Amino acid sequence: MANFNTHFTVAATASAVMSAIFMAMEVITPVEAVIAFSIGTLGGLMPDVDSANSKAIRVGFNVVSLLLTIMVVFVKSSVYSIVEMLVVSGVIFYTLRYGMIDLFRKISKHRGMFHSVPVAMIFGVSVAIIMHLFFGLNALISWIYGIMTTFGYLVHLILDEVYSVDLGNRRVKKSLGTALKFYRLKTQSDKIQNVIIYGSLLALMWVAPDTMMLQNALFSPEALMNFWDVFIPHDGNWFFK
Amino acid sequence: MNLTIKQLTIISGIFIFTGCVPVTYTPKPTIQTPTLGSPVQMSKYGYPPQNYQLTIKNYFSNKLKHASTAQYTFSSPQRAYKKKGFAYGGGVEWEGWMVDVSIATQNRTGRMLSPKPYMVLFKNSMIIEDILGNNHKLITKVTP
Repeated sequence: MANFNTHFTVAATASAVMSAIFMAMEVITPVEAVIAFSIGTLGGLMPDVDSANSKAIRVGFNVVSLLLTIMVVFVKSSVYSIVEMLVVSGVIFYTLRYGMIDLFRKISKHRGMFHSVPVAMIFGVSVAIIMHLFFGLNALISWIYGIMTTFGYLVHLILDEVYSVDLGNRRVKKSLGTALKFYRLKTQSDKIQNVIIYGSLLALMWVAPDTMMLQNALFSPEALMNFWDVFIPHDGNWFFK
Repeated sequence: MNLTIKQLTIISGIFIFTGCVPVTYTPKPTIQTPTLGSPVQMSKYGYPPQNYQLTIKNYFSNKLKHASTAQYTFSSPQRAYKKKGFAYGGGVEWEGWMVDVSIATQNRTGRMLSPKPYMVLFKNSMIIEDILGNNHKLITKVTP
């Protein structure tokens, strides 16, 4: 299993490459590319939030608690006084950061369903919904941020699988296949978890922003041509323009 | 002790950060003086935009990367309203007239791309905002 620093470095590198490709294809602006890069990097740390004592759970809960607290303050700032907001934000931050983390540690199991493809997709779709409905961004950029989350998440899972193979000793570790999985049906509880996860994914897709712009921008024949246009300098002028 | 200072810093940081964000943004309305003799029909949606095609072309000429090659297709203005994102309270942010526009431009290598849809939001004859796409869950088009 790769450590926190490895996951961070690889997720950041992969997210930087992906953001640069989107920017070169003129799908996103430079400012959006920076945000996409940050979201992808954060997505690459998310799978380890199920590890009770990992750095990822502390980073993840800090970020989520701060974001939710800021959101509540946004909503209530026109109604509450400064002291009321101070009290409410303090209560929310402490409850999420220190209360929920213990609950989360109890109910989650490392290398459980948090290390799976459907949960990577749930994170991505959730980010797209939050960007669209909470922050009012257009459908395309909301989906780009969602895709970057899922991309970073999947990079983490693939890296875990790669680290399951010990090339030096020519053996595979017991952890092989536990990260990049679509389901796990060992116990009755696993089966219920799978139903909840796939059910949630379907429900989220129903609320998610329209995908038409995304399909045209990234998954259409024109998108492929657009990518090819910027892939190499077709006029033969390398580096000197 | 250090932990308490750290936590206090985080909470204060939230306040400083959020204090800089305008949470009750309301677009400035354009004050229009109606032509003498015409019936004044001020509703909450305002007047339909005048010369909207030219206004939109001028607006996008400063916004698009390859604006000189842009080809526009316009729909007729229609009434619509937009809600704020839930992070900003979710109330009605804008009511006015909206024009659906398709804009085709070249990419950086000079190949013409298929048209992209935009929703251009007007208050009277002034553009308030443009949104990429032809729908948004926070925008409701009002049928006449």
